[in-house]
Amino acid sequence: MASETPVPERPEKKLSLTGYVVKPMLVTLKQAIRSAVRPNTVLYPYEKLELPPSYRGLHALDFKKCIGCALCVKVCPNECMFMKKLDDPELGKIERPGIDYARCLFCGLCTEVCPRECLFMTSDFELADYSRESLRYDPEDIRHDGYGEERFNRKLLPLHDFTKCTGHAKCAEVCPTQCITIAQVERTSRLKPEVDFDNCISCGKCVEACPESAWKMDQVILETLETDRPFFYLPKCTSCAACARVCPTECIAMTEMPGTEKRRPDGTMTKPKKRPVWDMDKCVGCALCAEACKFDSLWMEAAKLYSERIREESVTV
Amino acid sequence: MALFGIDTGWSSLYDFSEGVAKWIIGILSWIVGGLGDNLPWVFGDFLHWSDGIIRSDLHLALVAITVESVVLLLIATANLLTFIWIERKLLARMMDRRGPMYVGALGYLQQIADGLKLFLKEYIVPEKADRLGFDAAPVVLSAAAFFIIGVVPIAPGLGLTYQGSYASATVLLAFAAFAVPPFAVLIAGWSANNKYTLIGGMRAAALMMSYEIPMLLAVASVVVLAGGFDFVTIVEAQQASIWFAAPLFIGFVVFLICIVAELERIPFDLPEAEAELVEGWTTEYSGMRFGMIMAIDYLRGYIGCLLATLLFLGGWDGPAILPDWGWTLLKAYFLWVVFVWMRASLPRVRTDQILHIGWKRLLPLAMLNLLVAVVLVSLGWV
Repeated sequence: MASETPVPERPEKKLSLTGYVVKPMLVTLKQAIRSAVRPNTVLYPYEKLELPPSYRGLHALDFKKCIGCALCVKVCPNECMFMKKLDDPELGKIERPGIDYARCLFCGLCTEVCPRECLFMTSDFELADYSRESLRYDPEDIRHDGYGEERFNRKLLPLHDFTKCTGHAKCAEVCPTQCITIAQVERTSRLKPEVDFDNCISCGKCVEACPESAWKMDQVILETLETDRPFFYLPKCTSCAACARVCPTECIAMTEMPGTEKRRPDGTMTKPKKRPVWDMDKCVGCALCAEACKFDSLWMEAAKLYSERIREESVTV
Repeated sequence: MALFGIDTGWSSLYDFSEGVAKWIIGILSWIVGGLGDNLPWVFGDFLHWSDGIIRSDLHLALVAITVESVVLLLIATANLLTFIWIERKLLARMMDRRGPMYVGALGYLQQIADGLKLFLKEYIVPEKADRLGFDAAPVVLSAAAFFIIGVVPIAPGLGLTYQGSYASATVLLAFAAFAVPPFAVLIAGWSANNKYTLIGGMRAAALMMSYEIPMLLAVASVVVLAGGFDFVTIVEAQQASIWFAAPLFIGFVVFLICIVAELERIPFDLPEAEAELVEGWTTEYSGMRFGMIMAIDYLRGYIGCLLATLLFLGGWDGPAILPDWGWTLLKAYFLWVVFVWMRASLPRVRTDQILHIGWKRLLPLAMLNLLVAVVLVSLGWV
């Protein structure tokens, strides 16, 4: 026999006439007077609530800032985003993400992961449509150039181009806050300046001082500097340059490593091997290079996460 | 009788109806008599004989009363639509909503739109339902409600009268007819062959047992005080002294509670009880039958407010800034607002609680109230 569970005694609360009748009626009376002027109901098609800026509605994509790195596509948990090749009259041949709203769960991971901060979620929520197919929004449909510009903290910062740099170190000399340090790139004979952006005062003296004009001042969204960075393991690199080809921001420069020449049987020397060097201030952490590397010499935390899943499930969008 | 301050020259609604009836009968007899003059002998004689019947006093009275009923029904329908509108709007405001607002000014015509919609709906009868009872219940319900419209006057002349005089003992007639609907509800609940409807019907019977006696005792106290079974007599007695809500305040409260129970409105809507019984005894009704039942519900609401107004709030007694029918309706609307307010505030009582309230609280109070009335009369106060 199943043991009988004792029924817990409910504390009996006696409601008097006032508690049962008078108080509720006063409450409704108060409410009626309050809402006689203006009830809470919003006359939706005619009036709309002002939604908070963090509302996650339809997407907006800044075509000019987007670099087509497809991180949003990779991170999407519902796999509702896809890359589409476009031929833009202004921007040329580009790849931009589109969204299938029939599958989107509006989690906002795509906007969070976006390294260029060019994908936004607007407060527009009107998505009703007549067919599932029409819920598939192409990149052109979500294009909204210049959206959300005011949301980010920008700073005028010098950006470095390693391909032009010859290692004069003039920039480091003129820098008033001494935030530029010159370091030799491992295994190469080249010098490379690194900027401590926290101490940079945006004076622009390095740009003026550089004889090769390798520096360029630009308004940089500070959030983009906080992205993931690739780890490079030189011994495994085969100098295939796959990473440099795939980089959407062209921040990888293949640099010769002196001392790696080999003697051919006929006595001539081969060209020296090359290694990739990153302009970290341009890198957006899209992890395409890490994905492109077939020899495990490049590694990124995010890339590992995204690409493993991509390989396993072989997504078709 | 004056309408909107303009003297119409009619002493009562019956005068107007008689005029209309004479006009109708004139046209009829012109057609029938004219045909009788021009047709061969058998038909002509028959038509002349018919013409005699048409011109008779009995026929005049019948047509006049029919016209009167139609006018009263139109008045009741207009008020019924307004009552529904008030309920929807006020309830919405108490719930922080807006209520109907698109059809007509402030959504006033929404009820008509809903009615039209219900007309287009299919009328479904459950397979195992008792067809006779299922179909008869709404008819009984509406007939009982329409009957009371006839006997309850809005103003001295504005009611179903014959040559300006009401039927005697209209109070008794009204309350007799007012007590019929629970019977119809029970029939409907039983015949629909559905457990929810059956429970709803049984609850209606239980509800009736609890409120009917205190309510009639409260009415009896009014009758004792006024010295007549006539609405006109009762209102005139109040005009002569004071509204009976003042000396018989206990009775007024008891009557209001009982009338809310009688109307099956929240907090006493046990037979419907959407939360427990789907839609109670109306569960199986669909289409315009359902619309009819809902409309009759509100029509009974209108009648209940009129009854409370006439018995306790002095009927058409009031300063001459409003016409007399205006005062009656104003008070009825005020009571309806209170009922809607109660609906928005109070939780539904259980079946045992309504019996508890009816037998242990309202009945002693009603007896006390009757005692007050008897004492007042025996002291010669009224």
